Amino acid sequence: MTQTLLRALGGLIAAAFIAYMMVPIALPVIYSFSSVWQGILPEGLTLDSYRKVLAGAQYVPAIALSFQVALSALLLVAVLAVPAAWGVYRARSPLAAVMRQALLIFPMVAGPLILAVGYLLTFNRPPFDFSGTVWIIVAGHAALGFPFMFRAVLADMETLALDRLTEAARVCGAPWWTVWFRVLVPNLAGSVISGGLIVFALSFGEFEIAKMVGGFGFRTLPVLLFQSLREDFRTASAVAAILVYVAVLGLIAVSLLRARTTATR
Amino acid sequence: MAALRSFGRRGREELWLLPALAFIALFYVLPLVNLVARSFSGEGGGLSLDQFRTILATPAFTAAWINSVLFAAASTAIALVGGLLLAVWTAARRTRLRAALLAVYALPYTMSGLVVAFGFVVLTGRNGLVNQILGLMFEGGPFVNLRSWGGLLAVFPFYNVPLAALILTPLVEKLGRDLSEAAAVCGAGRVATWALVLIPALRPGLVAAGSLVFAAMMNAFGTTLAITGFSKNLLSLQIYAQSSDSGYNLPLASALAVVLMATTVAVLLVIGLIGRRRT
Repeated sequence: MTQTLLRALGGLIAAAFIAYMMVPIALPVIYSFSSVWQGILPEGLTLDSYRKVLAGAQYVPAIALSFQVALSALLLVAVLAVPAAWGVYRARSPLAAVMRQALLIFPMVAGPLILAVGYLLTFNRPPFDFSGTVWIIVAGHAALGFPFMFRAVLADMETLALDRLTEAARVCGAPWWTVWFRVLVPNLAGSVISGGLIVFALSFGEFEIAKMVGGFGFRTLPVLLFQSLREDFRTASAVAAILVYVAVLGLIAVSLLRARTTATR
Repeated sequence: MAALRSFGRRGREELWLLPALAFIALFYVLPLVNLVARSFSGEGGGLSLDQFRTILATPAFTAAWINSVLFAAASTAIALVGGLLLAVWTAARRTRLRAALLAVYALPYTMSGLVVAFGFVVLTGRNGLVNQILGLMFEGGPFVNLRSWGGLLAVFPFYNVPLAALILTPLVEKLGRDLSEAAAVCGAGRVATWALVLIPALRPGLVAAGSLVFAAMMNAFGTTLAITGFSKNLLSLQIYAQSSDSGYNLPLASALAVVLMATTVAVLLVIGLIGRRRT
């Protein structure tokens, strides 16, 4: 009796928590499609908020900028993290161990806030004068996203025993391009794409670094949302909803990808 | 070309680390070194503790420091209790449902802090749903205040509880069945099983989750800024204020950042020590 009661209570609490988790996801979307929401229930179905976003001179450039930043961060992270994962996977050197440790500790000690203050101090004067460019935001988002891609790719290399696969291909007389395009690319595509989607989504919604180092020159979509929250709540709802769509679509793609790779293994 | 060709041959593996190490040096290490160096530099250059003296002599800063530690500690406690409950429930689900749930728990990580702020303003803001519904039933109001400490503490579990659950669920799954069966065979009751067997066995996961949440909460300011503006005095918000256009003072911001980092590291070490202690 108490067993069943406890179990029901557990299920109820979990259901309540999952409902709570849906609040920031569902409410902006519902709000963005309603014409009035003064009472308890929203009223009227409309696309006006989205029209306002498209008509507002500042929103479209901000969406384009956010895409540019997120895509650049994704590419930068891929170029850095895939070779690094391979190096750590193969090399049994102290350097590889240091890197593993550093990637665990750095993100905890130096969060976005600390990084942004450090960037403001470092990249506004020679030899690294990046002030007034968008690259400083890209670098910051890449720094936040790097550990995700690195861990995903390294885990894939380890579970697949990738060095044995490349070794086997080579022993069978495969030239290097075959090793690359028939062994490495197909085997790592899953983790690189899912890691990349996470980096993209993370960057697209990131507010703190973008706000602190972007200044007035570079206002990404979340930075603009911060401003609209005070000025125009209705347009803000559509911007928030767009950010929800990107995050949710990214997550769905990652889950489908993971389900497929585990199914084929 | 040579690099492409030599991919996977033994001997020069470290070379593959170089681009990432250069990035880490330039975008993690150098900014941190600059930040620490700047915090210890005086007006006319040279080594000085002036910034830290200013911090200690300014009640607003010391209050922000204490508020931040208390807020992060309370958030961590909520995250660990909630995350553990959620993990225990999730670990007992069937494989398919569990996989779907774990995917949902990963969602907050990429969800923009400003979207979260928007959602909670609509739900628990002054004219939000909760206040309107309670207003129908009772006189007066507003009944819940999102801009209070309690209101803020109710926002961050959105991030922290699923994060803790993601870390703890696989551990609960692995340990739970074997250990609780063993304990039950030895005649331990439910409470005893939890207190003496499961919680100690889960300690590495609790330490990992607690460290991540505490560090993140010490640093967080975006969502708080969007909800309360500067009406809540937190160290992270002070650092933001000192390094944004209104009160531009980067040396002071650096010193505050050093205080924040040192506090975080100290607490993480304590959490680590508690986690390693033998029972």
